[in-house]
Parts: sequence; structure tokens; C-alpha cells
Amino acid sequence: MASDDSAAVTDSAIDPSTDTPIDASTPAPEVSAPEPSTPTEPPQPVPPIDPRTQLRLRNEGDHLVLLMPNGPQSEAEGGALVWGELLQHFKQRLKVGEPFWQPNTVVHLAARDRLLDARQLQALEEVLAAAQLTLKRVVTSRRQTAIAAVTAGYSVDQLETVDTLVQSPPAPGKPLAEPLYLQTTVRSGVEIRHPGTIIVLGDVNPGSSLVAEGDILVWGRLRGIAHAGFGGDRDRYIMALQMQPTQLRLADLVARAPDSPSADYLPEVAYVGNNGIRIAQAQAFARQNFDATLGQGAQPTDGF
Amino acid sequence: MTRIIVMTSGKGGVGKSTCTANLGMALAQRNQRVAVVDADFGLRNLDLLLGLENRIVYTALDVLAGDCTVEKALVKDKRQPTLGLLAAAQNRNKEAITPSQMKELVAGLAPSNDFILIDCPAGIEMGFQNAIAPAKEAIVVTTPEISAVRDADRVIGLLEANDVKFTKLLINRIKPKMVQEDQMMSVRDVLDILAVPLLGVVPDDERVIVSSNRGEPLVLDKQLSLAGVAFNNVARRLLGEEVPLIDLNATHDDLFSRLRRFFRG
Repeated sequence: MASDDSAAVTDSAIDPSTDTPIDASTPAPEVSAPEPSTPTEPPQPVPPIDPRTQLRLRNEGDHLVLLMPNGPQSEAEGGALVWGELLQHFKQRLKVGEPFWQPNTVVHLAARDRLLDARQLQALEEVLAAAQLTLKRVVTSRRQTAIAAVTAGYSVDQLETVDTLVQSPPAPGKPLAEPLYLQTTVRSGVEIRHPGTIIVLGDVNPGSSLVAEGDILVWGRLRGIAHAGFGGDRDRYIMALQMQPTQLRLADLVARAPDSPSADYLPEVAYVGNNGIRIAQAQAFARQNFDATLGQGAQPTDGF
Repeated sequence: MTRIIVMTSGKGGVGKSTCTANLGMALAQRNQRVAVVDADFGLRNLDLLLGLENRIVYTALDVLAGDCTVEKALVKDKRQPTLGLLAAAQNRNKEAITPSQMKELVAGLAPSNDFILIDCPAGIEMGFQNAIAPAKEAIVVTTPEISAVRDADRVIGLLEANDVKFTKLLINRIKPKMVQEDQMMSVRDVLDILAVPLLGVVPDDERVIVSSNRGEPLVLDKQLSLAGVAFNNVARRLLGEEVPLIDLNATHDDLFSRLRRFFRG
């Protein structure tokens, strides 16, 4: 256990052969035996990835707001994405996401305290233009960014230096963002972070990762890393038609895939049980948890 | 309408340059005007595979510096005069050129060619960005190894993000015998992960090494090897012909392997 890591991290190996019995006589969701933690392999601490470190769009009625991530701006300052990667991720996301705007919608850029030069603003405008969005206004608290934006011809709101309240993560209890709907194969190297639920229509390939504050639903094969309930919410699920993840993370828990893959896959749900992350067959899980007539936690008897 | 195709893979050593050389030659043999562009500045070797090393006078950098026209820098192949090579500079590195300069070079070649094949360097850094900038189509070369497939997956994602719309897959160096014995990823396994249209499958062949060392692409052989036939088929598919995949199992499909497959299910 990492001593400086306050979050508890359990390493529970997922083993579909025991966790999700094909045998219909044991339909309970808590099907797994308690997993002995492997002493040879030290549990990995959850790396500090924050869904708010990517560019994202928010609907504000008559216009959209493009939110720049806060926090460190270079790799040297603490590992946030550098500009090129930030833009690359945003481009990929615009391309595969379901647009929720009309053509020629106006975008306001909330640049916060990020330093942007004329070239970066132009690159951003080009990316937005490709998605039929028009950048009109820049809101910033940095003087240099404001000057660059004025020179480029945008209207500019220069805020006072940002107080700590704006920079700290939002208070708990804030509603999640609307679900992010992606219709694509999420390929190696792609990282999708969203402060809400992520729905992927397609495969999630190894080498990619999904990070959501809400649930993660994959209508396809999940073979990359999925992290649901990023903010610490353990009541989140990861669902996939074929669950073959490199790693599953729910809130502060980590589980890795079994060493021997099973022969055939059925839709499965990963959730937080008594002893860390558990996997159940979707059918049994839905009966248990979502069927109002049974009620939460009711145990069906044999032959039910 | 010139077709501008980048040959890329992410991982090194999977056979990008070999495929570019053979495909360029095979297309030229079908009366297409082909320019192959080496985008691997600092580590060029497409000229070696084509046997044109000692005929290079000007490189792409000379063209950009205005020292010669792009037509003049294009090294014409004596065996197939419709094939030309635009060599990379060997004494510089990948930062010596920008994506817009690469576009400029290719735009200069476009009017006088039917096909432009760009040989992309390994990696996804500047050299890759340069190579894909002018491309409209891409051929992703991969071998049936997990590392190559993973890198190919990453590259396909990057191509999509960079507006290269038509990506096709070329699986190189497959060993049918090992696939049959379940020791190597099959074509289906690779397609399963990458989910892009398949352009062709090239079997592993020792003659590729011989042909590379001699600077004579396989497709020039009088007695075509299986790999040579495969490259010809890829060229025909690029030209829009419907060519079935060659049955690589034929030579290994004896009674024993059939029985083995039968018992394995």
C-alpha cells in the first residue's frame, strides 16, 4: 500500500470463472469468493488523472462554453497534458461524439488562467470551425492571453486574477455533466475523460482509457482501462457486452483482468461489492438491482 | 486525380519501406505513373530497397531550398521508367522539414503522377506528422504481433483525427504454418482488433531479405515468389480490381494439419 496515498486501493483480480458462474443455479450478484491479495504484486495507487483535465464543451443555452482545464500547464509543472495533446484529444472527441449543437453555434472560450498565444487560439478556432462552431469570445484572467485574443479579433472578457474558489474542484453534490455519447472504436492512445457518464457504441481497444465521474457503458468489447466513479462515487457501474479490460477502476478501487481469458463472453457489469470490485452477468445483475418488483438487495430463491 | 497514399505503421521494422518499394514497382508495372517519396529524413533507406542509391543527385531538401525543381529531383527507375523516387536528405533529421513543406513537395509531384506513395518513418512524432500531412489515403502495415497491432491501432486513431479518411490494412510477414498451429495471430485476430478494411496479406518470405540487399523489389522477379504475388494482388486491389486473397494454407494443408485442426475444433 502506498503510504502517502490516502485512498484505499484494493487489488482484486477478476476471474470470470469464479466471479460469473455460467451455472444458473447461483444467480446472486455477490458470486465471487473473497480475493486473496497477491503479495508478490504491490497494489498500484490510482494515478492522479482528473476528468477535468481535458477540453470540453458545455451547453449554456444560446451558446456553448469551451472550458479549458485548470491546473498545471506543462509536464514539468505536474503532468497535465501539454497543448498539442490537449488539442489532439479534443479533436478526436469532437469527431466521434454526437454533436449537440446546430451548425454555426457560437462558442465562448473560458480560458481561465491558461496562457494562450495567437497561434494556439488560431489552432483552436480551426478545430472548432471543422465542427461547425464559431469562436467569438474569450474569457481569461491572463493579460497576455487577453492581448493575443484581442489581436486575433475576438471579444474579450478579462477577469480579475482567479481566486482559489474557482480553481478548487467543485463542491460535492454538484450534478454530473450530461452523458458523453461516442460512436467509434476507441483506439490505443486515446483517453476520454468526462465529468459524467460515458457511453461508447463500439470497441474500446487495449491501450486506451475511459475516465468518467459517472458510469461507463460499452456497447462492444471493453479491452482498455475503464475508470468509473472517478470523483469517489462507489455506486457506479462499468458495463460492457464483452468485459476483457486491461484494468477496471471504480472510485478508489482497482482490479485487473484475469490471466487466463475465458472462452466466451456474456454482457457483464462491474460494481463495488463487499470485497472490492466484483463482476456479475448483466442479466442476473439487472434482475437483482434494477427490478423494482424485487426491490434492492432481495435475494431470489432457487428455482425463482 | 492523383492518389496520395501514406504507408505507415507506428512500429518500426514491420516492412513499411519494403511494402512501399514493392507496391510502387507493382503499380508502375501496370502502367501507372508512380512517385515514391521517402519521408524518413535522416534514416532514409527506400533508395536502397529500390537500388537507386547511387543515382540520387538532389533530395527533397534541395527542392525546398529552391536549388532544383521537383521533377529534376525525382530519380527515374531504369527498369520501370514510370516509377520515380524523391529521396529524403540523409544529413538532416526529421525537424528539418514541416508538414506544410511536405504538402508543398507532394503538390509539386501530383500533376505528373497517378500515385504518390509516401514512406512514413516509424514513430508518431514529427516525421509521422510530416508524412501524413499531404495524404488522402493511408495503408497501415502491421505484422501479426501484439506490439505491432497495438501500435497500428494507435496510428489508425491518429490518422482518423488528422483527416486521413481512407485507411486500409496490409498484414505483412504472416507465417501460415504458425497460424495453423495457433502460435501466431491470424488475419482474423488482427482485423478483430483494428476494424479497418483489409487490403492484403503478405506471407513471410526469406527472399524478401535477398531482394532488399540486392535492391531489386520482389515483384521484378521472373519467377514470382508467394510474397511477390501478394504484392501484385495488393496493387491490383488498389486499382479497383476484385482479387481474392491467396490461399496461404495450401502448401501446409496436408493430412496431418487437417486432422490436427479437426481435433482442435
